[in-house]
Formats: sequence, structure tokens, C-alpha cells
Amino acid sequence: MTQQSILGTHSRDPAPLDLAAALRRCAAGDGASLRAIYDAEAPRMVGVALRLLRRRDLAEEAVHDTFLKVWASAAMFDEARGDPRAWIYTILRNRSLSILRGEARTDLVDDFEPMGMASDDESPEEAMSRLSDAGALKHCLGRLDPERREAVLLAYVQGLTHGEIAGRMQIPLGTIKSWIRRSLMALKDCLA
Amino acid sequence: MIPAERDRLAAEYALGVVEGAERERADALFAGDEAFTRAVTRWAAHLGELDRATPGIAPDPVLWERISATLAQSARSSAAPARAAGTMTTRWREIWSSLGFWRPAAMAAACAALLMAVGLGLAVQRASRAPVLVAVLLTDASRPAAVVNAFADGRTELVPLDTIAVPPGKALEIWTLWDRARGPVSVGLIDAARRVNLRLDGLPAPGPNQLFEITLEPATGSPTGRPTGPILMKGTTSSAL
Repeated sequence: MTQQSILGTHSRDPAPLDLAAALRRCAAGDGASLRAIYDAEAPRMVGVALRLLRRRDLAEEAVHDTFLKVWASAAMFDEARGDPRAWIYTILRNRSLSILRGEARTDLVDDFEPMGMASDDESPEEAMSRLSDAGALKHCLGRLDPERREAVLLAYVQGLTHGEIAGRMQIPLGTIKSWIRRSLMALKDCLA
Repeated sequence: MIPAERDRLAAEYALGVVEGAERERADALFAGDEAFTRAVTRWAAHLGELDRATPGIAPDPVLWERISATLAQSARSSAAPARAAGTMTTRWREIWSSLGFWRPAAMAAACAALLMAVGLGLAVQRASRAPVLVAVLLTDASRPAAVVNAFADGRTELVPLDTIAVPPGKALEIWTLWDRARGPVSVGLIDAARRVNLRLDGLPAPGPNQLFEITLEPATGSPTGRPTGPILMKGTTSSAL
């Protein structure tokens, strides 16, 4: 299938996209490669942003901003900086968290989009249960104390701040900060 | 930065718990420091397993158009403006200081003033009768549910076309968006669908393509000053013939 966009013509390729190569072509100014990344990743990106933001319009705003940033920063990305998908999703999560925490919120009011379908918050246990049994992350999270694991998962899956996690779990802020810090150190050793 | 500190910041940044000034610092490192970026993406690749089961959702088909439009716009504005602004200023200065321009210009201004005086008299007469801008507000199902009429004297009214079910303790709040940087502004609160004059005092007169919408809010209005409830209808203004 061929699609026309103002950035050029793009043939959709059924083979999995080589993201690192596509980012290199974006860095060289190839708009069709940005479109190829969009076709391959946008639906899951909207899903991830929606899980954090719970409003469809805001989730799409985060994806919009992420593609602009990917386009502008592609030249700075090189394979030495690691997994290209992880790089893109880091930008997406970062943008989503900025929106969630209200920074630059007024710039984002493009329209009053309807509230969209608010997805139910995914609980930490659900997120954990969906992990592949064979995966290192499930194994390593499983070795954490359950309460500390919950704190880590609330941060990642729901985008909560230290303070919000402390409120949610009814545990002092300082304790939450040190739980998360130590859990990340334990995870790092386990995942290495 | 010592490696242990960098690792800690990278891990917390990938998890999403870095805030405030430290977050700004991490943003800058993520954009420019290779070792930091590598550490963050390593964490993101591991934690990303948690996203793998998150269902994908097809974006609105216009999302890509918006992205490519923004890119095209920023490409244009970064390429063109400096030179264009320079030539415009010079040219304008020449016109401004030329006597040859001013003589006919003064004549034209006098004629225009006369025409305006005559036109104003007519316009004042018509102002109260015909709106200059009309917005038809549509429901989700694209059914016309209300009309906003803006008159030349600045008066703007909402005329419902249909009854609207308002649950007890709730009200209908009317909003307009005239400046995206400022965001939606409340211009009216009604307990039931009825004709009402909108409070646009302090706002510029409505222009074409200005958005109006009605949301369901608590009886005393939105607690945040922004729309919080579901949107019942919306529409943008067009010039009336």
C-alpha cells in the first residue's frame, strides 16, 4: 500500500521496521522514514500514553510531540546510545509525564477534545501478571519485597510521583524514596 | 557526575520519578550526554517489557496530518523569517518617508473616513438585528443542538435548539477558545437549556473559526476554571452573509 503525505510517498513494508536505520534516515531529512516509524509504532505509543494520561486527546498530543522531538533529535541518536525503541518510548513517557503533571498544559489546548475513553488504571499486580514468565524483569521484580515492588510499578505503570505513591500507599515520602532507590539498585544487579 | 550518581539518576529518570530542577538536569543530559542516554535507554529497554502487553490503539487518522503540518510549518518558519523580515522593514521605511506616498494617502484616508461615517450609521441600524458570526454547536452524533450568534455590537447569545437533560446538582457551562495560549474561557453557566447572553466582557470580539462548546459541570461551575466534564456539543463560528 502506498500512502501520500506531505513529507513524501511511503510504501508500507510488511517486514518489521529497522528502527535504528529509520532514525538514521530521519536524521538525513527523510520524512518517509518518520512516517514508517509512525506506521509501525504509533498505535502502541497511543496505548502507552493513554495508560498514563487516561485521556485520548492528551495521549495523541503526547504522541504528536514525541514525533516532532524524534524528528528533531534523530541526528543526536546513534546506535551507541542504545535500543532505538527504548529511546523513542523514553521521549514518549517523558512527554506524557510532563502533560500529566501539568507543565506547559496551556500550550496543549488545541481544542476541547472530548474526554475520550478513560481506561481503568492498570493495577501493579495486573502489569506484573502480564509480564512474560521467561523474562528477566518478571523474575527480578519477583525478588523484591511486595510493597517495594508495588511502589516501583505504580511509578512506571501509572506515572505517579514519589509523593503520589506515598499518598496512595499511606507510607512516608522519605521511605518511598529510599524504597524506590534501593529497589532500582537491586533490579540493576539482578538484570545485569 | 560520579558514575553511581549518574546510574541512580538514569534509573529514576527511566522510571519517571525525577522531578523539578533535577528533572531539567536529566532532560539536558538525555539530550546531550552519551553515557547518560545509554544508561537511560538500557533501563527503558528493561522496563519497557511492562508496556509490551499494553494494547495498541489506532490513532485518529488526522494525527499524522497534524504532525506533518507542524513539521512543515516549523521548517518554513526556521528557513524564511530572518531575510523576509529584513526586506519588509526596509521597504516599509522607504514608503513611510516618501512624500509621494503621503499625499494620495491623505486623500484616501479622508474618503475612507467619509465612507465609514455613512457605513457606520447603516451598520448600527443593522447590528442589533443580524448576527455577524454564527456557530452551530453539534452533539457527538453531529446533531445541531444550539446556535451561538455574535452581533456587531459585541453582544453574543446562545440559543438552544433542543432540550438537554441536566442531572440534579449539575449545570451547563459554556466555553470559548479565542486564544490557544490562554486556553478555554468560561462565558456562561446555565441550569437548563435556555437562551442566554454570553459574558464576553474582557475578551476580544469573537472572530471566525472561534470554538464554542458546552460541558456538563457541577452546579456552581467547573471547580478548576477549565472544562472538566463531558462535552455535550461544540462548534466553530463562521461569518454570516
